[in-house]
Amino acid sequence: MGRMNDVGGMQGFPPLDQEVHEPAFHADWEAHVFAINQALIGRGVYNLDEFRDAVERIPPQEYLASSYYELWFRAITMLLAEKGVLTEREMAGD
Amino acid sequence: MSGEHAGPAATVAARVRHLEALLEQRGLVDSRELDRALEAFLARASPANGAHVVARAWLDEGFRARLLADANAALPELGLSMGGGLQEQRLKVVENTEGRHNVIVCTLCSCYPIALLGPSPTWYKSQAYRSRVVRDPRAVLREFGFALDPAVQINVWDASAESRYMVLPRRPAGTEDLDERALAARVTRNGLIGVAPV
Amino acid sequence: MTDLFRPGDRVRTSRIDPPHHTRLPRYARGATGTVVEREGSYPLPDRRARQLPAEPEPVYAVRFAARELFGEGDHTVTLDLWESYLCPAATEETK
Repeated sequence: MGRMNDVGGMQGFPPLDQEVHEPAFHADWEAHVFAINQALIGRGVYNLDEFRDAVERIPPQEYLASSYYELWFRAITMLLAEKGVLTEREMAGD
Repeated sequence: MSGEHAGPAATVAARVRHLEALLEQRGLVDSRELDRALEAFLARASPANGAHVVARAWLDEGFRARLLADANAALPELGLSMGGGLQEQRLKVVENTEGRHNVIVCTLCSCYPIALLGPSPTWYKSQAYRSRVVRDPRAVLREFGFALDPAVQINVWDASAESRYMVLPRRPAGTEDLDERALAARVTRNGLIGVAPV
Repeated sequence: MTDLFRPGDRVRTSRIDPPHHTRLPRYARGATGTVVEREGSYPLPDRRARQLPAEPEPVYAVRFAARELFGEGDHTVTLDLWESYLCPAATEETK
């Protein structure tokens, strides 16, 4: 089962984009995703391995179209739904 | 949350705010605590820490030996640690020598010694870096403007388990008279990852 | 419980493409390398990711020649690999 994260040795990616003096987070929401993930793992809602697994299970098309923290956000919502903590509807704001 | 629309068409920022509100309602997060944790994280974690470790290792042979043997045990000598995250991580410091140069990557995700280097740059997390550096590290170094002597062998460390890696760069020539602070100022974040000489 | 491997041992990685989370990258499957050192002892993430019980097992830093991994290159790549991903290089057995 090839997973989209497992890219070591793969060819064809573009030149590196070296942003100078890059901020830790490019938007406030990224920082919040980071902190929420830390809090949920700290509370034992899921563990770090489950989190990585969830990122890896994001469908390839969506995975490739997402930024780094978008992947994290997607993985978090996926786990929360799978574990019955929140429903997809609740998270969609319906 | 009245008026807040967080369906698929909403921006990710709105969806994140909505999720945080839901989690807070459920008692799973506390927004103020999240802010505090973020602030603490950003304040403590910085490449100045890694630079400090390197400068001390350059000046103090005993510290250098202890650092290479057991980095976690040596860090507290400088008031540093690999804690502050979810759990204290094992640190492995790898030394550049005349014949050998080290470069760090996490091909599977983005594992990085945040405590000593601060948050990782986007390029480190990119598929481009993660795919290329294990296969052609010399070419990646050239992308950073670093033409490594062909006689120097490269070892790439893929942080695929629980350890986090940091490079101990070679002390530049002509720095014999510099004190620890001045030496630390010579150390760059990219040097600690291995994509720069120092 | 003693470690299966010691620094200097030649080991080969599993060739299996698992239908679940793992920390053995594709590029390092079915490759022969040398144990550099014992990195620590941790539960297998393949199992932890599926909430299966997992006792800590040794993790080793294992060094591979680039030529072994990619067929070319003069560098080495060192990965941290769980004992479950490895078998002695001398045997023909693949996990």
